[in-house]
Amino acid sequence: MDNIMKALLRVWEIISDWAVDIYMSFYNALIPDQMYLAYIDGLVVTILISLMAIILGIAIGILVAVLKVTSINYKLRWLNRICNIYINVIRGTPLMVQLLIIYNLIFTSRNTNEIVVGAVCFGINSGAYVAEIIRAGIESIDKGQMEAGRSLGLNYITTMRMIILPQAVKNILPALGNEFITLIKETSVAGAIAVTDLTKAAQYVGSRTWDILPPLIITAVCYLIMVMGLSKLLSIFERRLARGDRH
Amino acid sequence: MIVTKNLKKAFGNHMVLNGIDETIQKGEKVVVIGPSGSGKSTFLRCLNLLEVPTEGEIWFDDQLITDSKTDINMVRRKMGMVFQQFNLFPHLTVKENITLAPVKLGIMNKEKANQKAMDLLNRIGLTDKANAYPNQLSGGQKQRIAIIRALAMNPEVMLFDEPTSALDPEMVGEVLDLMTQLAEEGMTMVVVTHEMRFAKKVATRVLFMDEGRIVEQNSPDEFFEHPKHPRLQEFLSKIL
Repeated sequence: MDNIMKALLRVWEIISDWAVDIYMSFYNALIPDQMYLAYIDGLVVTILISLMAIILGIAIGILVAVLKVTSINYKLRWLNRICNIYINVIRGTPLMVQLLIIYNLIFTSRNTNEIVVGAVCFGINSGAYVAEIIRAGIESIDKGQMEAGRSLGLNYITTMRMIILPQAVKNILPALGNEFITLIKETSVAGAIAVTDLTKAAQYVGSRTWDILPPLIITAVCYLIMVMGLSKLLSIFERRLARGDRH
Repeated sequence: MIVTKNLKKAFGNHMVLNGIDETIQKGEKVVVIGPSGSGKSTFLRCLNLLEVPTEGEIWFDDQLITDSKTDINMVRRKMGMVFQQFNLFPHLTVKENITLAPVKLGIMNKEKANQKAMDLLNRIGLTDKANAYPNQLSGGQKQRIAIIRALAMNPEVMLFDEPTSALDPEMVGEVLDLMTQLAEEGMTMVVVTHEMRFAKKVATRVLFMDEGRIVEQNSPDEFFEHPKHPRLQEFLSKIL
């Protein structure tokens, strides 16, 4: 009986020591020297880059998609070719390499804001994927919709903007959401051009506490929360856009 | 009002229209019939340049609309078009479907366009559907709304591309009734259809097309009672 009690006590000691260890390592990764501020600063940078890149990506994506569809409709082969070159180059090279090339291209000329450089690079990258998603969306809309718009006297651009794109967006929202989720996570390589984003902040904290795992886990949780928030937002959007489908 | 001169249209090597010379006067109700593949829909779609002719001229109100300098969007405002597949905008309500073009083109302000939309809906007895979406409507309701959507632009001519072909048989009547009303009000109409009874009742002139040509045309009485061309006789004997 005594032996069993001793053994249980020993197990309890091991578990509680372990829990205290974990608690302490997370405590050390967050609290001393106001370390949590590093994460918050990094988080702000990550959100800032993601947001700018998403906006830029959508703008480029819509532009390239519309140009591509238009170039096919009006048989402008050179325009189609330019769009294809952009899409192929961006999709065919690693994001990290693109980031380094753009950074060195701009950084060598004068002092620049790395965050903006990063956002521009991620935006240009995302634009290629968004363009293909939107193009597929536009082509999924019945040809009669464009004809109906045009037959009422609306011009091509207005018909595209008022009639085709709103319907296309509804069809492509899941794919677009996927792209944005990927984009948020991919910004974690921004550290390569001396941007202190969330991932870089974690590495910084880890190098100070000599314990890299807790900050990395904290960072992972931060990304997870961001992505889940975005997913939630997108599903609300989707539901709102689906109102015309009700029978 | 509409004049076509030597109108030709080819899709690749396939000649769909083989030189059509036709004049449509103001107030006429021209019905175009013919076997499938005869080019009747293509002819109609050429009139507002949804299909760009390969060769030939189209004049509308003494304006050469096949000229590349002509602003086709201005011309299309005066030509309403109704499609086989309705082509209502599914993401907009019925009222928005009707008011979109007049408002966007600056022809009416929002208030006036809404008033006009409600007047037109009242005319077809569908005011209660103003805020419904197209997918909540029956085929006949959709097509009647497509017609008044075109009417909201106050067109000078209405083009109908097989407006009843995609409808359940019991809904054909309500659409034809509305078209008959329009005809009685003096609207200039060009109608591609398979509804022979409508042609007999409403048309001032019936055209028969085959292999990209207008083979025969006449007043409806003569056209149906005394067809001259053997191809037309054969066609009518099959469908009547």
